[in-house]
Amino acid sequence: MKRLPIKWIFTGSGLFLLIIMMYACNKKLDKEPQGALSLSNVATKTGVNALLIGAYAILDGENVPDAGNAYGSAGSNWVYGSIAADDSYKGSTPTDQPDATQIESWSLSQGSTTAYLNEKWTLLYGGIQRANDVLRVMRQATDIDPADTAAITGEARFLRGFYHFDGKKVFNNFPYVDESISFENGNLLVANDVDIWPMIEADFQYAVNNLPETQPNIGRINKWGAMAFLAKAYMFEHKYDQAKPLLDDIIVHGVTSGGEKYALVNFESNFNAPQKNGPESVFACQMSVNDGSSTANDGGNGNMGDVLNYPNGTGAPGGCCGFNNPSWNLANAYKTDVNGLPLLDGWNSGTVVSDSSNLYTGNLDPRIDWTIGRPGIPYLDWGLDNVAWVRDPASNGNFNPKKNVYALSQAGTYSSTETVFWGATQITANNYNFIRFSDVLLWAAECEAEVGSLDKAEDYVNQVRNRAADPTGWVYKNSAYNAAQGVYTNQTTPADKYLVSPYPVGAFAGNGQDYARKAIRFERRLELAMEGHRFFDLQRWDNGSGYMADVLNTYVGVEKTRHSFYYIVNTATFTKGTNEYFAIPQKQIDAENSTGVVYLKQNHGYN
Amino acid sequence: MPKKTSGLVKCYCLFIMLACSLSVMAQQAVTGKIINSNDRQPVAGATIQVSGTQTFAQSGNDGSFSITVPNANSILLISVVGFDKREIPVSGRADIGEVQLTATDASLNQVVVTGYTAQRKKDITGSVAVVNVANLKAVPGGTTESLLQGQAAGVTVINTGQPGGVSNVRIRGITSPGNTDPLVIIDGTPGSLHDLNVSDIQSIQVLKDAGAAAIYGVRGSNGVIVVTTKKGRSGKAELSYDGYYGTQRPISRGYNLADPTETANALWKEYTNDGLAPTHKQYGSGTMPVIPDYITPAGAHEGDPGTDPSTYALYTNQITKANKTGTDWFHEIFKPALIQSHNLSLTGGGDKSAYYFSFNYFDQQGTLINTYLKRYTARINTSFSLLDDRLKIGEHVAVFYKQNPGYLNLPGVNNANSIGASSREPGIIPVYDIKGNFAGTGSQDLGNSPQPVAIQSRQANNTNSDWQISGNAFAELTVAKHLTARTVIGGTVDNFYYNNFIYTAYENAENAQNPNSYLENYGWNSSYTWTNTLNYTNTFADKHHLTALVGSEYINNNSRSVSASRGSYYITDPTNLTVDPNLWTLNFGSPGSQTNSNGLTNIPGNSQQTPYQLSIFSIFGRVDYNFNDKYYLSGTLRRDGSSVFDPAKRFGYFPSVTAGWRISQESFLQNASWLNDLKIRGGWGKMGAINNINPTNAFTLYQSAANQSYYDINGTSSSPTQGIITYQYGNPATTWEEDIITNIGFDATFLQNKFDLTAEWYRKSISGLIFVPQPIGTGGLAAVPFANAGDISNQGIDLSLTYHGGIHQELKFDITGTFTSYNNKVESLPAGINYYDFDNSVRLAPGHPVSAFYGYKVLGLFQDYADVTKSPVQDGAAPGRFKYQDVNGDNKIDNADRTYIGDPNPKFSAGLNLAVSYRNFDLATFFYASVGADIQNSIRSSTDFPQQFNNAMSKDIALHSATLVNASGDPTNILDPTARVADPNSSIPMLERIANFSNATAFNSYLIEKGSYLRCKSLIAGYTFPTAAISRYRIDRLRIYVQAANLFTVTGYSGIDPELPGSNTSFGVDGGGYPNNQKNFNVGINLTFH
Repeated sequence: MKRLPIKWIFTGSGLFLLIIMMYACNKKLDKEPQGALSLSNVATKTGVNALLIGAYAILDGENVPDAGNAYGSAGSNWVYGSIAADDSYKGSTPTDQPDATQIESWSLSQGSTTAYLNEKWTLLYGGIQRANDVLRVMRQATDIDPADTAAITGEARFLRGFYHFDGKKVFNNFPYVDESISFENGNLLVANDVDIWPMIEADFQYAVNNLPETQPNIGRINKWGAMAFLAKAYMFEHKYDQAKPLLDDIIVHGVTSGGEKYALVNFESNFNAPQKNGPESVFACQMSVNDGSSTANDGGNGNMGDVLNYPNGTGAPGGCCGFNNPSWNLANAYKTDVNGLPLLDGWNSGTVVSDSSNLYTGNLDPRIDWTIGRPGIPYLDWGLDNVAWVRDPASNGNFNPKKNVYALSQAGTYSSTETVFWGATQITANNYNFIRFSDVLLWAAECEAEVGSLDKAEDYVNQVRNRAADPTGWVYKNSAYNAAQGVYTNQTTPADKYLVSPYPVGAFAGNGQDYARKAIRFERRLELAMEGHRFFDLQRWDNGSGYMADVLNTYVGVEKTRHSFYYIVNTATFTKGTNEYFAIPQKQIDAENSTGVVYLKQNHGYN
Repeated sequence: MPKKTSGLVKCYCLFIMLACSLSVMAQQAVTGKIINSNDRQPVAGATIQVSGTQTFAQSGNDGSFSITVPNANSILLISVVGFDKREIPVSGRADIGEVQLTATDASLNQVVVTGYTAQRKKDITGSVAVVNVANLKAVPGGTTESLLQGQAAGVTVINTGQPGGVSNVRIRGITSPGNTDPLVIIDGTPGSLHDLNVSDIQSIQVLKDAGAAAIYGVRGSNGVIVVTTKKGRSGKAELSYDGYYGTQRPISRGYNLADPTETANALWKEYTNDGLAPTHKQYGSGTMPVIPDYITPAGAHEGDPGTDPSTYALYTNQITKANKTGTDWFHEIFKPALIQSHNLSLTGGGDKSAYYFSFNYFDQQGTLINTYLKRYTARINTSFSLLDDRLKIGEHVAVFYKQNPGYLNLPGVNNANSIGASSREPGIIPVYDIKGNFAGTGSQDLGNSPQPVAIQSRQANNTNSDWQISGNAFAELTVAKHLTARTVIGGTVDNFYYNNFIYTAYENAENAQNPNSYLENYGWNSSYTWTNTLNYTNTFADKHHLTALVGSEYINNNSRSVSASRGSYYITDPTNLTVDPNLWTLNFGSPGSQTNSNGLTNIPGNSQQTPYQLSIFSIFGRVDYNFNDKYYLSGTLRRDGSSVFDPAKRFGYFPSVTAGWRISQESFLQNASWLNDLKIRGGWGKMGAINNINPTNAFTLYQSAANQSYYDINGTSSSPTQGIITYQYGNPATTWEEDIITNIGFDATFLQNKFDLTAEWYRKSISGLIFVPQPIGTGGLAAVPFANAGDISNQGIDLSLTYHGGIHQELKFDITGTFTSYNNKVESLPAGINYYDFDNSVRLAPGHPVSAFYGYKVLGLFQDYADVTKSPVQDGAAPGRFKYQDVNGDNKIDNADRTYIGDPNPKFSAGLNLAVSYRNFDLATFFYASVGADIQNSIRSSTDFPQQFNNAMSKDIALHSATLVNASGDPTNILDPTARVADPNSSIPMLERIANFSNATAFNSYLIEKGSYLRCKSLIAGYTFPTAAISRYRIDRLRIYVQAANLFTVTGYSGIDPELPGSNTSFGVDGGGYPNNQKNFNVGINLTFH
């Protein structure tokens, strides 16, 4: 009798506590995410603008968790644009970066499993997703006025078009993904059998129509930059008549986002971090270093994609890794004749530039020594370039890359000192120019040659050549290098026998359209070599003609006899009708087609 | 105060002993003393029952008891947990003297702790493996989970040799492509085995099926390991010291690499086989390679310019002599190392309290230089009895501090750690240059490997410290005669700190001028669990035994950490570019290079971003009924709610039901004298798993990160603008993995209790696997959420057989064998999805095991160009290269011809414990075997395809690779259309400079090897001093022993060690793991004082 109440009190209170606890604890199961923002936080003007920055942030092609080292996705496209073309060899030991070996030797038929292609694909859709996120989230925001909406949409659609354009160039059959396609909508299985040029054009056109001429931030795309991309798309579509008026407009009226009139500047200034975003820079990937962004596995906001593209060895600029060595073929292209004109036909025969066994002693276009590190020639302020900087002379040739490299005096300021365990000394704040003004001029020249006036075409080419001919922008021996200005201070002894001249007035008209075409194409190569464009120029000019296969198989045929990549990989052959584009990544084919329905088709000629 | 208690009162936990008063209905008092037959120590808490009555007594702390018997012919039944029962006739005596009880860990009456309750072993109807803790402790090791290897049927453990390294523990196969670590419950509260002092363990049970583990609901799917730590024992204080000290010796065989001459000759073959003229910065350009005297200057000989020591300079002329005999890099980094463990424990107590205190110092130096685990652990377990024993209050608490820096993978440099590097660094490179600085691949044309000794040496001062307190406090109240209420509140608080200094590795081929950098991390994890249970137990009509339990539990976990780094530290020793560790603060680095962020947790196997939090709330119940110890029926039900899922998907019910039939109790078997006990049992139930879910999985979230979302939109070169990105998509539809287990088994004891056999068959069907599906590129880069996708099944057999034998009184032996076999299969993937790929070499697809290797199957080598012509079209096909199988028969080799080329899951694994004692000598050995697993030997992708980076090459490829000859049998090259492979039996592809699909670049079966092995894990010989000789020193027990661990391994695997842990989608991959086969020789002592 005494114990019973105690028992019931205990039992009763226990059950009561249980019920209270159940109620309380069920509520305690609502755990808000920590350290992250939700949609309601970002669906504001500030948030949407920050998302837009995020969409720009991937232009460098880097800093993607789990996407590998991401050389394959580099914004500069050095792998696809330069080494797969005749500009350069992969470099390093013969099969260091075997993915790049396959790409350089056009043996991707099985290599569609290479990580590089998947990196590129994944990265581009990352950019597309981020651009689409801007559009999707913006629609949820209520504090953005219509004018801002149009401007934000313009930038987002430009970036979306930009990433698709890059994918179109590399993969050709590249699915178009707009803001209606998302993980959350469950409609990611997009086929690649649709011509996406109209969509790319529409994105760029929208940007042209809605973007301001100048922007508060120099790195933002403006109306003129977007127009240059629209013109570039037309160039790829061979719509010269549509490209020409745009190019004309840009050349006459175009300004940078900072409001500076587009113009040609000192050649090296295009590749010099302190002079970035000058009047020649139409649209560039903005790089920064020592900004607290680098982590153990990536280069932060610097140019990680080109981290391998430095001379190799402990005393060499950057110190590692001896990739992207310019080809013998490219060096020979800079030969000029007694009139300072390029050797449009015989350039790759006879003595070879910088070949110590049979030295070329003729004239050279001075741009060679800003484009190619050659033995015995001053390499910015790093001293004279030398053969020891070439990692594997048997397969790397004689040359070192240069355009992406910083000056010794810029080390630590424009190169990273960050806590990266790999490659800090090769990560720079040098911008990569997607389009610079000379590019625009040379497209305009092409348009004129195709649908306009050969004289006008010649004039554009000569504008570019006249800049090259300006001796203040040459490389000099026995001189200090002014890294801030990208010039040598003592301009008395040119580093080699430079001679470059404009075409004589009337040369194009006099020699006819084919000559003009050849001259313009040659000029593009000289001017834009090692900037990741060459492969895509060949692709554009090919247009089903076999031109590209001819150029590259001719190239390989000769290079096999020289200490070059093709000396080692001597089975390399460019297959017409296949190798103009790269393979669709097998991983993506597997992923998209794993339901059994074929959404992604492999490109012709690849398994 | 109860005068009597039911004879079938269950112990809820081992340490709770119900005190009981003496009966007052006495007619005659009998006294006695109960002692342990083994060590003659008193046995406290034994139950003494007068047979056929409800009169009970208990032995006191000194083992003595007094009980009143109705008459002189009464029989006393004496029982206590952990000992065989005895029946003693009183036979008219007033004092029956000493009663010796024989300890029987495996006895059927042993009470084992299972889910929230304890059961006699004979009453268990679920699948519970009871680990023999003595056997467990016989293997020296720093982490307790590693010691489970081979000790419990149904538990597969794969270990690393890294001190403090993480093991793979899988209970009954792989249940998910993600983390499948079992739930570990220590004294009733979730915890970790990783740093548990093994000497503190009283018992370990492994709950393997739903019948046993379903009461853990959504956390039970991967099995539950229930650990009980030692409790205080009332009586005089007793101090024990257990320690061992020994040496670990690395395996004598390193990577089988070619020496410098063999390497140079092979390098020449690389060129000549491809029809190229050889040229090399070290070996010249002649028809034969010349081994230089110096590798820096490259290819120099004595007296050459630059070899004069006065011209030495780091970077420009780091003069380095060639090691013409070849450096044995493996043994430059693997050296003999010490191991020691010292454990003190103190136990005792008074009438109403008991305590257990222990202190352990464990120090294992890794055989890999500069790796170690040093750990200091203390534990205090106390219990108090109040309110006339109706209320028990106590606590279990363990504190440890450890230093366990591990070894770094240097990111980027081919993911090199020193072990992998030791297979890549060419032997011609010496460890040091002429000035004693590190030599390396900075000497040109010798590959790009970082230097193994340099990597390890530079990590000597790195730290990784962890301070943790874990445990619980409990109170248990006997509310009424059959009803007890228990509350337990406990958890873990963990604080960790680690730092790494990355020096400028001047000797390397790559990144030799990188600025140095320093990284520092701090963080904490905490978890608490509050459990309340109410337990009713009663017996009706002597035959109906009923136990019922209800409870509730709330779990809450939090974690947060911070990571910071700087670079370009002030160099205090310019000759070797080092920085005094006293300057390892953030302040001494360049502020321009600083980074900081909230980082990752360091919970093993957990890579969730911090901060994070999660909680679980559960209610559960359990009913056990048995009729006359013959027919058993048991059921459990748990309802769990978890914060990691969307509210609509949060709550789940997890039921189980089991039944057992002790057939040996039936009359028709009562006369089967050979059979002591036989129980047939079966069960079914459902559980869940949430190991693999990101706690914020249901949410689409946006994030800002300097390296991913910032962009220098203003062109400043150093001050980027903040951006935001979508960093994960949410999936509110995700819920737990559901695991349905069917289990059938029997437990038998036969032939005078000499044999114990347990055999079980099970089927686990896991549905709705939680994992990240293969992302589809068009979705972009934001993380794809975990989804429920696919089913996996495991079917298997667990066997354990123990034999207790003896030739005569003084020679006794025990043999225990365990056998674990599972057959793991992916049953299905989401509708329409045919497979998921991981790392280009592992595919998850229905009908195949998880983690199956997937690639091209090598049929052999192409013999000649005629062979190439008649074979299916294959890229790069040429004599001396791989010929792949045309799996789909379309006469061309492409991606569709990849197939399943290996399975890293063993067909079975087995453990064998053998213990023999003769007088005061004891001998014990433990063997472990893993049979039928395949290994992906990724080391060979470097050593057998040296063209990749000019790294070190294997002897196999240098000496035994295929060679090409022409029609007349003379050496030729690949350009020769008449070339054929000289020896048609060659299986090693020819040496080449070229890498392509037909040699180095496609993942194929050349890298797959058989990984079966048998290992003698431990061999111990001990001697226990006779009590008489030592008792005058107040020593109760003194035993000394010598031990050899990992004495030998029998395997056909060509690599260093076939035991290769990893994630569930990449285990069995040898990429230079820390071998677990170092021989270990110890001497040890066990000493007990009073």
